[in-house]
Amino acid sequence: MAVMRTAVIALAVLWAATLLGGLLSGLDRRLTARLQARRGPPLTQPFWDVIKLLAKERVVTNPWQAFSPVATLAAAATALVLFVCQGDLLVILFVHATGGVFLVLGAMASPSPYSQTGGQRELWQMLCCETLLFLFAGALYLTTGSFRVSGVLALPEPLLDRLPLLFLAFLFALTVKMRKSPFDLAGSHHAHQELVRGVYTEYAGPHLGLLEIAHWLEVMLYLAICSLFWATNVAAMILLPLAAFGAVIVLDNVAARLTWRWMLGRGWAAVFAAAALNLFWLKG
Amino acid sequence: MPEAISVVLIIVPFLAALASLLTRSSACRSFLVITTVCGLATCSLLLQASPACGGKWAGIIAPLIAGGDFLLLAVMFFLGCRYRHPLIVMLTAGQLALFAWLEFSVFAGGSHGPALFAVDALSLTMVRVVCIVGGLICLHALPYMQAHERHLQLDRSRQPQFFAVLLLFLGAMNGLVLTNHLAHFYFFFELTTLCSFLLIGHDNTDEAVAKALTALWMNGLGGLLLLLAIWGLYSQSAMLDMTGLVATAGGHGAAMLPLVMLLLAAFTKSAQLPWQKWLLGAMVAPTPTSALLHSSTMVKAGVYLALRFAPALAGTLLAQGLVLAGGFTFVAAAALAIGQRNAKKVLAYSTISNLGLIFACAGIGTPAAVAAGMLLILFHAVSKGLLFLCVGTAEQQVHSRDIEVMRGLCAIMPVTAMISVLAALTLIVPPFGMLLGKWLVFEAGADNIVFYLMLVLGSSFTVLYWVRLAGTLLAGGETAAARAEAQPLLTRWPLAVLACGAVLLVLGAPALHGRLLAALAPLFGPMTAFPAGPPFAAGRAGVLLTAQGAFPLASLFVAAALVALLALAAARQAMAGKKGRAYLAGANTELPDHFRGPMNRPVRAVVENYYLAPLLGEKRWTRWVNLAAAGLLLFMLGGGLWP
Amino acid sequence: MGLVDKLIGTARRRSPWLLHFDCGSCNGCDIETLACLTPVYDVERFGVVNVGNPRHADILLVTGTVNHRNREALAVLFEQMPEPRVVVAIGACGLSGGVFREAPNVVGGVDKVIPVDVYVPGCPARPEAIIDGVVLAVEKFREKSKEMGEGR
Repeated sequence: MAVMRTAVIALAVLWAATLLGGLLSGLDRRLTARLQARRGPPLTQPFWDVIKLLAKERVVTNPWQAFSPVATLAAAATALVLFVCQGDLLVILFVHATGGVFLVLGAMASPSPYSQTGGQRELWQMLCCETLLFLFAGALYLTTGSFRVSGVLALPEPLLDRLPLLFLAFLFALTVKMRKSPFDLAGSHHAHQELVRGVYTEYAGPHLGLLEIAHWLEVMLYLAICSLFWATNVAAMILLPLAAFGAVIVLDNVAARLTWRWMLGRGWAAVFAAAALNLFWLKG
Repeated sequence: MPEAISVVLIIVPFLAALASLLTRSSACRSFLVITTVCGLATCSLLLQASPACGGKWAGIIAPLIAGGDFLLLAVMFFLGCRYRHPLIVMLTAGQLALFAWLEFSVFAGGSHGPALFAVDALSLTMVRVVCIVGGLICLHALPYMQAHERHLQLDRSRQPQFFAVLLLFLGAMNGLVLTNHLAHFYFFFELTTLCSFLLIGHDNTDEAVAKALTALWMNGLGGLLLLLAIWGLYSQSAMLDMTGLVATAGGHGAAMLPLVMLLLAAFTKSAQLPWQKWLLGAMVAPTPTSALLHSSTMVKAGVYLALRFAPALAGTLLAQGLVLAGGFTFVAAAALAIGQRNAKKVLAYSTISNLGLIFACAGIGTPAAVAAGMLLILFHAVSKGLLFLCVGTAEQQVHSRDIEVMRGLCAIMPVTAMISVLAALTLIVPPFGMLLGKWLVFEAGADNIVFYLMLVLGSSFTVLYWVRLAGTLLAGGETAAARAEAQPLLTRWPLAVLACGAVLLVLGAPALHGRLLAALAPLFGPMTAFPAGPPFAAGRAGVLLTAQGAFPLASLFVAAALVALLALAAARQAMAGKKGRAYLAGANTELPDHFRGPMNRPVRAVVENYYLAPLLGEKRWTRWVNLAAAGLLLFMLGGGLWP
Repeated sequence: MGLVDKLIGTARRRSPWLLHFDCGSCNGCDIETLACLTPVYDVERFGVVNVGNPRHADILLVTGTVNHRNREALAVLFEQMPEPRVVVAIGACGLSGGVFREAPNVVGGVDKVIPVDVYVPGCPARPEAIIDGVVLAVEKFREKSKEMGEGR
């Protein structure tokens, strides 16, 4: 019975997260258009894109291009389900990173230099955002004595009070994850001129569609983690991720893309140091 | 019963080594190696835990080992003289003098005869790793060395010596993990040093000999430090019983000095920074040597020693220093691995890095951490052994160790490449063993923020260099067109068994972890600041529970299996359909990775990985990293001696 | 025709992704084509996205004449677009080779190399004409999807 209940919950969560993630992606495109004095596509646009992609012809150059999207989507879905089950945040992050691993493997398996360079950059981007999330997990442990998500929900005060620097670090990670400027080196929506589409170049048709859904789920996981920063009341749990989401889109439209040297050397190093400082402060 | 099996596990490899030295026929040698390995593996599985045993054998074995010690040191002294290496001469002469003095005047007076063997969950795990993983590597070596010698075009086969030393090595490791007598431990410790010298220098080229001598002097230093530690421990408590010493050693101030020496000896043996040079140099040897040194023997002796003595360290400043030194090695070696384009060096740095993590486990000093360290030893041995065998086979084929030359290996050697990718994945992806072990370390070590930061960075670096290596092997390969390469049975079966082990062994992890904890908990007395209550309970089926979190192993494993099946089906279906050409800006040619260049000639599209050589290059950083590591060791020393 | 096919048809109509290939144009038609994609016209309202990759594209816009040097590139780009796909030839040169058709290095119009679905005349073609052409292409895209559906 317990297994059945978990399965039903998991399916419901995934269904809802896919819908919400798609809508958020539509909102993103619409907000961006507005910031550029355009009207932009309807909110449902991402769904039409994905349906179209899923119905296109299946063409691959090697088996990993078909293998990877399934694995990436599955990893994103598993991580989200684990989060909803209020599991161990470390395990959630490990599972989530697995998705990135397969995405990169599939991209590197093609002889196309665009795809390979995109894969390499994706690895560095993963390094940037995963480390910051692991620091958040550490902060979770230092405040609650446990790595479980359930521990945060029992806290009397919002974590944000004690983790301001880590929240900034989280915004950095969210920008990277949402593939937004200035930290969008691997496969941003605007990278057509330089790297074609970087890590996504060789994924086409249904495979690209699956990756798009996986990306929605990943962004949903990040936003869910964001809600933990203010987990004391429901309104804040919804508003804080939305505010973070909006901030990232505004940043995307006012910032130009950086090179990887900058992203690693200045951006990530500074943010990582700030987040680490926050941890020491928490303990001290 | 356990003592008989223990004796068999130690004596049989020695006898087999002798026999191998005497046979010149390759069929006989194959038969000998196969039967010995099978026998050892069976014995290691039959062996059961027993607290202390083997008293009745002491009368025979003790003098044998003492004699062996002198012989061993004399051989090493002779080698030092022959190669005119003053450092080795000095170190071995020092050991010889000290050992003779200890043997004839100090030990002779004290209470003698600790139980010869002590088999607990720790040594049991190690014995199985040594016999099964090490054994498989020996089997794999049979066809490998044939090809190796064909390639070298030797007049007279040198395989008898090679296999003799391999088998001897297994025996030495078995002795090292089973013995309960510290002086005997020293003998086996030194024996592995000599074996590693012989194996590294096997090809007898100038380079090989130079690297072998480096290994010999560094480990000779380790041996001297160990001997000093034994002297110190003996003068404190007048016994050589390891189980007893673990319980009584330690204290404050100068009393910690022997333990510091012990740890330093373990550091040299495990090639921790700043002593990584010998292990990196050991890469000149034939692949089975590297595989054996890295996965199941030699370097694991050092971490085993540290984990064994972890209860004595628990709660001291020395342990804190050990955590930081281990954590630093974990990060620094991983960062150096990122800057490497030599595949074997990437593997070497990764070994050093993982061993650093295990040392840190010994420093954290809770039963949970030490058990995590043991799990890491086990899973690292299996996956790394597998990777070494694959990369070595690939190297034999492409005649280069450069990752960029191995680019697209899956087109030439699909089986080897796929197994390498699988092995790399088992090192970084849940639910496999290495990640499980790392998760346990994360949970056990999160109280120390500096260490936690090191863990986070080191783990992320690890993911980066493994995915990059795996992706490069897959790059641009026309996998569909490639045919599975032919492999001798003795190459294929060890690889298959290790691959299955790397994937499936994690299912046994909860049970093993529980058993290790049960064995370890009593060793850590009330002195540990460990929270009351069971640190680890077998919770609901298939979920690993710790005080800090939960790892849903069974569900993750089932999910991973389902996803793998689904994804494989998708890949198969896609490959049955239309196949496209890679995107090369429309300038594709008939060759998959060539574009149409000037004069319509095909030009290869060359992409190299980001190695960040200017940022993370070995040349630039080795000196600074070594300085920092030495500083941390001094800090550790200071921490140990602080009153 | 089932519900699923209808849904897919709608999705195709609402999400045409364009790939623009300058085959040998004097840049007149290119400038007009890119002008259509500026915020002034905001074609993203209709789900149109200008992609740089044939693997992701549904509609191929080709400007300029085809010559012996780039005919293979054109063919490869077309080959790399997954089905269903539509080709729009833009400008006099794309239609027939234009004033360059007699030149020794010129093959002729786009349809000498790949099948063309929509022809947009003009020298250069006006943005409005190009948008008309794309709208027609979107319809063709849907029709092709019907053919694909029946072929299944």
